[in-house]
Amino acid sequence: MLNNTTLIQDKSTVIKKSIWKDIWKKKIYYIYLLPTFVLLIVFSYYPAFDAIRNSFFEWSAQGVRYYVGLGNFKSMVKDTILIASIKNLIILLIFGIIIGLSVPIIVAELIFNIRNEKLKFWYRWLIVVPIVVPGMVVLLLWQFIYDPNVGLLNGILKVIGLVSWQRTWLNDPDIALYCLIFIGFPWISGTNTLIILAGLNNIGRDIIDSSLIDGVTGFRRIWYIDLPLILGQIKVLLILGLIGGIQGFGPQLILTRGGPGYSTMVPGLHMYQQAFLYNRLGYACAIGLSMFIVILILTYINMRYLRSSIEYEAK
Amino acid sequence: MKRRVHDFWLHFIMIVLLFLTFFPFIEMINISFKTNAQFDIAPWTITLPLYPSNYLRAYKSISPYILNSIIVSGITLVGVLFLSAFSGYVFARFSFPGKEILYYLVISLLMIPGVLTLIPLFMLTKRLNLLNTRWALILPWTAGGQVFGIFLLRSFMASIPQELFDSAKIDGAGDFYTFWYIALPLCAPILGTLGIMNFVGTWNEYIWPLTVLSDVKLFTLPIGLLTFQSEYMVLRGPLFAGYVIASIPLLILFALASNLFIEGLTSGAIKA
Repeated sequence: MLNNTTLIQDKSTVIKKSIWKDIWKKKIYYIYLLPTFVLLIVFSYYPAFDAIRNSFFEWSAQGVRYYVGLGNFKSMVKDTILIASIKNLIILLIFGIIIGLSVPIIVAELIFNIRNEKLKFWYRWLIVVPIVVPGMVVLLLWQFIYDPNVGLLNGILKVIGLVSWQRTWLNDPDIALYCLIFIGFPWISGTNTLIILAGLNNIGRDIIDSSLIDGVTGFRRIWYIDLPLILGQIKVLLILGLIGGIQGFGPQLILTRGGPGYSTMVPGLHMYQQAFLYNRLGYACAIGLSMFIVILILTYINMRYLRSSIEYEAK
Repeated sequence: MKRRVHDFWLHFIMIVLLFLTFFPFIEMINISFKTNAQFDIAPWTITLPLYPSNYLRAYKSISPYILNSIIVSGITLVGVLFLSAFSGYVFARFSFPGKEILYYLVISLLMIPGVLTLIPLFMLTKRLNLLNTRWALILPWTAGGQVFGIFLLRSFMASIPQELFDSAKIDGAGDFYTFWYIALPLCAPILGTLGIMNFVGTWNEYIWPLTVLSDVKLFTLPIGLLTFQSEYMVLRGPLFAGYVIASIPLLILFALASNLFIEGLTSGAIKA
């Protein structure tokens, strides 16, 4: 009995020793990975943990910092601007997801069903070209389109005799948010369309042929055959759309600063302003952490729910 | 006959959608050739004579920003490609204790959104005295960019047959030699894809540069455009010429490597 335990202990120390020996022998590989890990620890891991820690602190850019427990999260519940921004975000997300999924599916189906191979190629090429225009130029162009005095939109309304429809667009608190949604119309995202198109091209010729024989054509084929078979691609676009949509505040930062009033405020911009305009870094970190948690939960739900429905389709 | 009618409508809808997509860009080019007087009389239609001199004027203001963007995005690109390839190579081709744990420590960062780290990263940049330097962009972008790169390159490097490495080893080649002369050339296409994706990403980024840069001399193209826009607010022609010029670098890249472009844009999502 006694012998047995010493034997096991011996064995474990031998294993331990041999692991350290192995590590020492292969130390060169850890050295190879050092540049990657130094960068990741300093610029990725440290900021992430710092964000979580500082969510529980009052923190200013001058370095003043003290512990407030859940204080920041309690202030969030009472923050009327934040609540307004969440409402705006929900509207933006609903429209963003509908647009971000439906337009690429429609355009991909159009291209997929066109039989002229040459034109098919050109259409595919043309929907990707706009990507070369920097996002900032697109934003500034739309700022110009919405310009109340010399803008394209009011100009067109004047030409077709609808002067009464003219608005100040981005300066009108009732419609500013919808003007932001309308940016990029008709919202052909080259990337998303190509992803859906790749999914459609993966559907076997035999499935399409047999559906033709069964007389399943047009919209019925799209609904009963294409969509279930590209659910994987749709799931990817949904997750990426949600992650990007929840965090995004670029157009608001450049075009409206959340205004007029708080009509276009979103949580991301609120966080940014709390940090860099009002010097409330801890509070901003708490908002950032909450958004991170929401993103994690939504991603999880999305993956679980959509996976089970794929399995259901497979039956 | 019925099929032909059917196809006609597909083309028709497609062309309308493409026209609406390109219309703002067509007007951008149209206005870029106008004087203010021409814009006031006929803002949306073509007016003669055209004034290409607008481009000369805009180029003088825009070119320093383009140069800054090329420097910052270029250095980031080289760093990301090298680290992704080399670390991907180490993770794929060697075995050492804790390898999988270290690998998961890298790719779990794919889950961390920028919104979480934005503020601490700003404070860190400030404490490291990097505010208002190019490093404030290059270092975090390289750190973040390599994560997806390592993920992509590891699986690719793992698929290279071991014999290729063995024969080089017998000839006495070291790790760096086999990396540089065997692994890297085989990965060229996927590195091209990763490179385009990374370059377009940093090229378009504006929230972070706006946060850490205050010296106009360092401004990258997107935030330089904001300065440019406020300077040329009343000079429509040169303003829009500047927008056109800002779109040209990626257009050249697209013309040279449209296949890599298309793969790069989609691979990010397909792999996710």
